[in-house]
Amino acid sequence: MIWEVFRQEQRGDYHTHCGNVHAPDREMAKQFAAIQHARRKPTHSIWVVPKDEIGELDAEETSFGGVTDKSYRWAPTYKSDLDHASEVIDSEGQQAEAEKQRGDA
Amino acid sequence: MEIDTVKERAGPREFSAADEMPLEYREAATRMIEFHANSEIMGAYLERPFIREAPSIDRKLAYSAKVQDEIGHGQLLYRAAESLGVKTREEMLDDLANGKGKFLNCFHYPMKSWPETAMIAFFVDGAAMRRQATLRRTSWEPYAHAMDKVCFEEGFHVKHGESILAELMTGSKKEQEMTQEVFEMWWPRIIQFFGPTDDKSTHHDFSADVGLKTQSNDDLRNLFLREYIPKAEKYGLEIPDEPRIRQRDDGTYEVEEGDLDWDEFFTIAKNEYEPGLGQINGRKEAQKAVQWVRDTLEWENAPEGAAKPQAAD
Repeated sequence: MIWEVFRQEQRGDYHTHCGNVHAPDREMAKQFAAIQHARRKPTHSIWVVPKDEIGELDAEETSFGGVTDKSYRWAPTYKSDLDHASEVIDSEGQQAEAEKQRGDA
Repeated sequence: MEIDTVKERAGPREFSAADEMPLEYREAATRMIEFHANSEIMGAYLERPFIREAPSIDRKLAYSAKVQDEIGHGQLLYRAAESLGVKTREEMLDDLANGKGKFLNCFHYPMKSWPETAMIAFFVDGAAMRRQATLRRTSWEPYAHAMDKVCFEEGFHVKHGESILAELMTGSKKEQEMTQEVFEMWWPRIIQFFGPTDDKSTHHDFSADVGLKTQSNDDLRNLFLREYIPKAEKYGLEIPDEPRIRQRDDGTYEVEEGDLDWDEFFTIAKNEYEPGLGQINGRKEAQKAVQWVRDTLEWENAPEGAAKPQAAD
């Protein structure tokens, strides 16, 4: 049985996928995951999830975010001369980055 | 975990579902996150009619996107609240429908005209974002994680709101007058967004001690005023004479509390304000009207006797 492993570096971080292990049950999966994926890198917590329980949808099957121009839902679309609050600037920066990664910008 | 240990360890994203948290913590966090989730839903309902009433196709698209975002934020937050094990999502949604669920003061007021949308989308969302940015450091990790996503999306809402305000304030004289008029109506409510001052706040001390809240009502209100008074003025809005606001030498603001209608605020807080009941019941009716959609969904994997699925809208 294959178990997908998610590792959290520090308390409060997100658990991110880091690999998988073969194991006959959950207990063994935790032990193997701890040894294989949490021994060298800083780790606060790991999750193990049976691979069969994971549902996947990929970009070949669907068009994430649709195919039409959705610039109206991005902060950088709305131009302004105002000095925005820092939290608005942060959000806009993150959105600009996401736009770039999607290849929309 | 003992409450003293919680207070000692309290810090950003310190506690998660893996920790055994005392009931007092879980109840305080549930109250706070449920209030936040309910506010997202009620805010979306307030703005929903303006998808239809938007004056242009661009505004219509933006409003449909924004309303969709807000409903999504509600969903995220109900999940974060549910993770505390005090109330289920279904219980929270039922309480919202039957008038027991509490939510933000501003969303108890009906919104009638287009210029009012700028009040919500620029000022109320601006105030909300200011508060939400500080909640990325809350001690309940699932709440902080929800805030990451909310803050990511919210910048669009505020900038879109600003864009509406800019359009109105550079529009016809009539548009400018209407905008000033609704600004005067909304301004005191917006100041009350942050709740009563610290000395009158019921829940602040405990929430702050256990790291749920990272900034006090007074601090947040101050930061908001410092940020948004100049923005309102830049767009040509006149700050109303009341409530009287005086800038202290250190740059912070003193608001004359007696100029604000705290009776109305606390009536609202109890869900007893008449127009607010209209908002609550309006959502309840809308939810009933789309019950057939929920009924058509088949939940194959739901165990026998499991709670029926319920959409936030």
